[in-house]
Amino acid sequence: MKLLGATAIEDKLQEGVPETIACLNLADIKIWVLTGDKLETAMNIGYSCNMLRDDMNEVFVISGHAPPEVQQQLRSAKERILGRSRVSSGGEVEKADDSVFQETIIAEYALVINGHSLAHALEPQLEHVLLDVACLCKTVICCRVTPMQKAQVVELVKRYKRAVTLAIGDGANDVSMIRTAHIGVGISGQEGMQAVLASDYSFAQFRYLRRLLLVHGRWSYYRMCHFLCYFFYKNFGFTLVHFWYGFFCGFSAQTVYDQWFIAFFNIVYTSLPVLAMGIFDQDVNDQNSLRYPSLYKPGQQNLLFNKRQFFLCTLQGMGTSFLLFFIPYGAFSVMVKEDGSHFTDQQAFAVTIATSLVIVVSVQIGLDTHHWTAVNHFFIWGSLAAYFAILFAMQSDGIFRIFPSNFPFIGTASNSLSETSVWLVILLTTVVCLVPGLAVSFLRAELFPTLTDKVRCLQQSRMRRGPREQNLKRGRRTSSRRSAYAFSHQQGFGELITSGRNMRMSTVSSVCSPGRAAHSSTWLENILKRKNEVSSYDQSVKIQVFLYIVT
Amino acid sequence: MGKEGGCGQNKTMVKQEQELANRPDNTAFTQQRLPAWQPMLSAGIVIPGFVIIGLAFIGIGVALFITSKNIQVMEMDYTGFEPDSDCFKCSNPEEKNCVCQLDFNISSRFEGPVFFYYGLSNYFQNYRRYGVSKDDAQLSGDLDNFKSPSDTCSPYDTDGIKPIVPCGSIANSMFNDTFLLYREVNGTNELVPLDGKGIAWWTDYNVKYRNPNVTPLKEAFEGTVKPLFWPRPAYELDTSDPNNNGFINQDFLVWMRRAALPDFRKLYRRIAQGDYARGLPAGNYSLKIAYNYPVLSFQGRKKVVFSNVSWMGGRNDFLGIAYLVIGSMCVFMSIVMLIVYAKFKFPEED
Repeated sequence: MKLLGATAIEDKLQEGVPETIACLNLADIKIWVLTGDKLETAMNIGYSCNMLRDDMNEVFVISGHAPPEVQQQLRSAKERILGRSRVSSGGEVEKADDSVFQETIIAEYALVINGHSLAHALEPQLEHVLLDVACLCKTVICCRVTPMQKAQVVELVKRYKRAVTLAIGDGANDVSMIRTAHIGVGISGQEGMQAVLASDYSFAQFRYLRRLLLVHGRWSYYRMCHFLCYFFYKNFGFTLVHFWYGFFCGFSAQTVYDQWFIAFFNIVYTSLPVLAMGIFDQDVNDQNSLRYPSLYKPGQQNLLFNKRQFFLCTLQGMGTSFLLFFIPYGAFSVMVKEDGSHFTDQQAFAVTIATSLVIVVSVQIGLDTHHWTAVNHFFIWGSLAAYFAILFAMQSDGIFRIFPSNFPFIGTASNSLSETSVWLVILLTTVVCLVPGLAVSFLRAELFPTLTDKVRCLQQSRMRRGPREQNLKRGRRTSSRRSAYAFSHQQGFGELITSGRNMRMSTVSSVCSPGRAAHSSTWLENILKRKNEVSSYDQSVKIQVFLYIVT
Repeated sequence: MGKEGGCGQNKTMVKQEQELANRPDNTAFTQQRLPAWQPMLSAGIVIPGFVIIGLAFIGIGVALFITSKNIQVMEMDYTGFEPDSDCFKCSNPEEKNCVCQLDFNISSRFEGPVFFYYGLSNYFQNYRRYGVSKDDAQLSGDLDNFKSPSDTCSPYDTDGIKPIVPCGSIANSMFNDTFLLYREVNGTNELVPLDGKGIAWWTDYNVKYRNPNVTPLKEAFEGTVKPLFWPRPAYELDTSDPNNNGFINQDFLVWMRRAALPDFRKLYRRIAQGDYARGLPAGNYSLKIAYNYPVLSFQGRKKVVFSNVSWMGGRNDFLGIAYLVIGSMCVFMSIVMLIVYAKFKFPEED
């Protein structure tokens, strides 16, 4: 026979895929690959993306055809990882022993499972074992997977693990997986818009996932938690003043504040600053968020808003309400105006406490905001100005003449806020409410700095030194077609070919140096995080070599 | 060929336009690139800040405390709870039109202008049902509300047949003890002139409370009755001065401005006229009280207070002490933070 030639079809990896995967791994995000390709192709892809490496302890390949076989393979894999003695008959991982997990952290395992075997492994009696083994491995690659099975894998993780799953895919066969996962991401591109239409987020290239998660996802979590903490604090501070007042007004539910103040407090006086904080605040800028992926961990570990944080901000609100009431109470018992006339009346008391409250919560959000844009300035100072403007407008003579029954507080603002003693009370209340929180947060940032604090410090010092580093903005990709190749480290399949068993089609992986970047079109990978799991579909590189053999 | 090429070119242009149409805005606002100030709580700001706040507060506290200490106050309880007080006989609810007398001595000159307050204890003017029980429209002179008072005033809106003007519980419970102050001069009692003008807020007197536009005022009150506890109707509160009669009576206004706390004082008169403009000289004084207001039924107490004022108002030890305490705590905390910071920061390098 004479060899006439060879043709190859290549499906390229997108630009930036290995870097993205490496980055997300650093952020403690577990990545699983669910592909419809063959085992060998999938493993090639794994090697080219650095998900599978030669220095991994072991790569378990599950390719049994019958349930007992699959079970046996899974069990043996688990035994290999955990050690024989730890595997109980039920197949559950014993969580009591830390050394078990330490072992798995040091050692790296990978799991590669066939679609065929996966069908058996997803059955009720085996799914726990599969999940346990998969979670002990650093990388999981499922090949020859049907769209239905992709959704089933995601479902499995969702059901039994306290993790958030993200599925990213680009084809119509990824739609079921995208819809099953907590977050579905569609990549718009060569394969059409099916995945995009079914997804929560969509973008054009896989590498944008890094920005989506590490920058926008992280900021979103940070903003949401701070917003919630502040909101609870503000409202507890506002409302609990009535609790303290109850002891002094015969528990008659007399409100401390003016009715209009109660109506406007949450809508007008304090809504915009907290909105600005929830939209614009950034703890760390986007370049540093990308540079330090472990900043993502507080979100995974639910550190910024949990029971403890809620309790603390509630406590702060209660303490603020206590001080807001009792300092004016102490001062007002015997206070008179400069001209001797008394003004320890209900309305002046109300205005004093209301003014202190608005100033305290505005300054507090000023202290909580880390990223002051022009909008933040406008909203915070504008809200304070609006408070005083509305206060004087509503307690003026003019509006009383029009609606006498609705504005009984006439004259209070001008009479009470022109007294020095009232402003001294307001100043004292403000400082006493804010200073402890300030001291605590300062000491905590200095003595027990979190990674966020350190990065923020670094950011500040870099900004002070000057923008020496250039903006690493890449040019926009105009075409996804490049001439580059996917390579893997594995030994080739020459043996297989020469054995003659695969005559027509065979997948060939050529051995090459590890230095070359891998570019493949439409790489969609499954990313399952430990806490946030992302499953995505990837279409692996298809390099098929047709041998024309002429006899 | 050229036409096909042109068509092809149009197609790519349209496709590019379509691609570009989906592209998100690249403005600083939408891409979160707005220029921003990113302050950080560094030791160089916080510790000196605390020191400055602490020192400023200590300064203010000292000023307040000294000012407060220089204010003279004299309080006398006249409820008549103790049997040996002269007003004990008046505390019996059966007694009507009782007059009792309190004698006291001022050892050193009481600097003027002196303000004369009456004070009540355990009196909850801030009770909610009590507080809503008035009709603001009626009190601003609206004659329609004379005929039909607002139902917030109930049960003090009608006496069964006729409407009550001014209606409501606050007006009904108006304080009606009166006081006359005498100073012993050469064996005789000289009346100390008490000034009752301008003791209420200017806005209350001129804007909030208005008499109906009817002269004589009595006619506006046709078909209405006075509040149940009042000895005289509203248009006879001060017959000598039409500017102090009706709803704009100063004592009435002072009473209607209800107090925030259960122990309160309200201004009764000012002692600032004639010989007493510079204050009350030392000597013996006697206070004749027309005891009309019963408080013992709810364990309330009545008292009179003489006081002078300063730039920070009346005597108020609380504010001065609070400022001193907070100021010293701030300074103390700044020292603690400095020690902690120096100890923990410098051994470890950044």
